[in-house]
Amino acid sequence: MSGGFEYLKALIVEDNSHMRSLLRALLNSVGITDIAEANQGKAAIEALRLRRPDLVLTDLAMKQMDGLEFTRYVRNDPNSPNPFIPIIMITGHTEKHHVEEARDAGVTELLAKPITAANLFARIAEIVERPRAFVRCGDYFGPDRRRTRAEGYKGPFRRAEDLEDMDVR
Amino acid sequence: MSQQNDAEAELIQPDAYPQMVSKRDGLRCIQTLQSDRVALKAKTAMASYTPMLRDAIMEYVEALEEAGTDLERIFAVAHEIRNFAENAGMATAGRVAENLCRYMDEMERVKKPVDQTIVALHVAAIARAARAEEDDAKMGDVVSAELNALVRRRLADAGVR
Repeated sequence: MSGGFEYLKALIVEDNSHMRSLLRALLNSVGITDIAEANQGKAAIEALRLRRPDLVLTDLAMKQMDGLEFTRYVRNDPNSPNPFIPIIMITGHTEKHHVEEARDAGVTELLAKPITAANLFARIAEIVERPRAFVRCGDYFGPDRRRTRAEGYKGPFRRAEDLEDMDVR
Repeated sequence: MSQQNDAEAELIQPDAYPQMVSKRDGLRCIQTLQSDRVALKAKTAMASYTPMLRDAIMEYVEALEEAGTDLERIFAVAHEIRNFAENAGMATAGRVAENLCRYMDEMERVKKPVDQTIVALHVAAIARAARAEEDDAKMGDVVSAELNALVRRRLADAGVR
């Protein structure tokens, strides 16, 4: 039986070739084989147009055009081929202010480096199982930054701020 | 389905835009992502990269030592080490690099000068951990914890909570 991912096209945007190899290997292991790679945001935009991926994994810190700028382009530029595409941002910058920046740029999921297969697969499962509504509000367009809470759930809530909505593992 | 919640916000529900996979394929995708067979395949794939990653980490360590007092360079290289040292089986080096990155990042954020001695201590600890024959967990944990405590104190002094 096939695993459901045979026709999925992915784009990896990462300036470190070792990390690109690791991510490719992990995607391969779930059956995703149609994978484009780019080493920075500008090349990624070109790949978006040419390859029309269904899923993007992007690094945050890159020279020329970083992951935040790339995400803003995808979500907001009139020439963006797919403003709704799921974007998993993979970053070692897990400090609160970086996480908030990523969320406000419009990323779908955040994944902390060093990566593990379990954490990457959990992010992809989240996109499949619980797709987020999109919000257009003021200068923001992207996934709803507040995840839906379970009906009737009254807490306890682990953290007081909006950051709780962005699960970084 | 699109909802206009108020004068400014528009909410576009998931069924109103194209999804990554169809609902029909979704269940199979979840089963794949959660299967033991795929987990083993992924683990094996990652393990096959360990030697290559160890070599890369050693190159980064040399670059770190050659960076001298170039803080921008040190931060960039330490970040690479922090990003995948654990994937290379060099968890201690990764933890110390993470501590160094956090220190430098927070000091920059509060616009306070970085203490070169703290940087040098971290660089030496990363190099020693990376060059250890095996990841010396016991010694590494002690050094990592001490540096972590030092950074926490210095960040507190700098007003970082």
